[in-house]
Amino acid sequence: MMNHTIGFTTSIPVEIILAAGRVPVDLNNIFITSGQAAQWVEKAEEAGYPRNSCGWIKGLYTAGLLTQPEAVIAVMHGDCSNTQALMETMQLRGIPIFPFAYPYDRSADMLTLEMEKLMRVFQVSWTQVEDVRRDLLPLRQLCQELDRLSWQENVLTGAENHYYLVCSSDFNGDPQKYARDLEEFIARAQLRRPFQDEVRLAYIGVPPIFTNLYEYVESLQARVVYNEIQRQFSMPFACQDIIDQYLQYTYPYGAFARLEDIQEQIHLRQVDGIIHYTQTFCFRQIEDMVFREKLDLPILTLEGDKPGPLDARSKMRIEAFINMLKF
Amino acid sequence: MLGMDLGSRNVKIMEMQDHVITAQLSFDTIAFYRSYGKTGAGNLRIDLSELGLAQNQPLVATGYGKVSVQIEGALHLPEIQAHVKGAVYQTGYQDFTLLDIGGQDTKIVKVRGGRAVDFLTNDRCAASSGRYLENMAGVLGIDLEELSRYSLQPVELNSTCAIFGETEIIGKIVEGYPLAELAAGINYSLYRRFAGMLERLASDLIVVSGGVARNEAIVNIIARESDRQVMCLPEAQFNGALGACIYGYEKFSK
Repeated sequence: MMNHTIGFTTSIPVEIILAAGRVPVDLNNIFITSGQAAQWVEKAEEAGYPRNSCGWIKGLYTAGLLTQPEAVIAVMHGDCSNTQALMETMQLRGIPIFPFAYPYDRSADMLTLEMEKLMRVFQVSWTQVEDVRRDLLPLRQLCQELDRLSWQENVLTGAENHYYLVCSSDFNGDPQKYARDLEEFIARAQLRRPFQDEVRLAYIGVPPIFTNLYEYVESLQARVVYNEIQRQFSMPFACQDIIDQYLQYTYPYGAFARLEDIQEQIHLRQVDGIIHYTQTFCFRQIEDMVFREKLDLPILTLEGDKPGPLDARSKMRIEAFINMLKF
Repeated sequence: MLGMDLGSRNVKIMEMQDHVITAQLSFDTIAFYRSYGKTGAGNLRIDLSELGLAQNQPLVATGYGKVSVQIEGALHLPEIQAHVKGAVYQTGYQDFTLLDIGGQDTKIVKVRGGRAVDFLTNDRCAASSGRYLENMAGVLGIDLEELSRYSLQPVELNSTCAIFGETEIIGKIVEGYPLAELAAGINYSLYRRFAGMLERLASDLIVVSGGVARNEAIVNIIARESDRQVMCLPEAQFNGALGACIYGYEKFSK
């Protein structure tokens, strides 16, 4: 039983939860690091989730049930079209739910309203939230430094970059400890010899459900030097206030909002090719059309369903893609 | 020079001497692994003389199972590259789109200047593969050769799943459609599953390889629907193994 924890289904203004003295828990991270991710998906299927629905949503459902947070903030717009049913089935199991929606048109007014609603729920003020935001700034800068070590100093594996940035959605529930871990890790990483990659890759799309993607890529003398969404979770931008921060955050605002950021970063990081990961049964598979048309680099669209290691076919496709880029 | 293509349905081995094909062998994948796979380790210890092939010749392996080939000095080549090398060698062309419809998947590769510049493969389901045709021919009670004769007046088959496809074709049989239209419907449904990918990576010339290249109906449908020149490789099924040999010549002659 985890009291005073607030679960959420994708990045939300975590500053509000922290200002309220609660522990933020990204249910995605709980699910994928549980060591039993595949069983959790099966558990949701046994409960009635269709086999032909997203593995992440199923994992989140079980994560919610097993961790029993005080409440779950469900992102109803700007993440996943299945969240509504996820919210309803969690409600069915007695978990208190608060909906949150990122406005598709990126309107500051609408976002302000949504955040005010959430602040009312947790009984915190703008000043309190701003204080937390400012307290987190050094931590967010550490995330940026970690990311820079990945692509500029070339001393981080793709998996390390992924892990630390993906955890910045909830700071593993404890921002201070996360900051200490990050500092120690950065200090160690700075001493490493740089990777000599033959191929530099960008990874765009939601975090992979595969457990060994980055390792496999590195076994082929290639390396992921840009994890798009994971980096976005760390909010790597200078901003005036909390509203501005969550307006600059690209992920909830559709493919075109993301595109701008991706174009800038792939150019900056001088990548040779792009892996676009989408989850089986996800609407983002359709958005692949946008990225293929608008990005000038070779793209491999990779699809994952159940948690676990890469299957033979995905390995074959990754290998062929990297080889294609080498020649 | 030996090229070995360890596919999902068949293992194809080609032997060449001075760029001339001297032997071609094909085995059912399961039977091949049973005979040569070392228990537990997932490795293949192959005695070439048992296969009637000369010992001590260089070997290049490609296909799903390539990493399991444990022969000293064996090279491994990713299948997309193997297929492109084979197709460039067999056609003499440098710019085309290669369509490889294999036992369990379909690969579409855009080739420019003799190199793969982009590729797509079918999604996670085997519905756009030779396996689908085998299953469907089985439902109709005909063989693949007969299935490949029909491309006109196809019945409409909508299912995107190979297994539900069977149910759907049974429904059409019950409705009384003639065999020719049912068979044409099956061939058309396979075409539709890769048509979108083919269009995205299209060239003026489409080169077809893999076992399904022997299906005349599919080839006719591609030509008719895409309005492009379509060419089948003479060694369609052995194209990957051939490409592996060619790669071997490039590497070992250095």
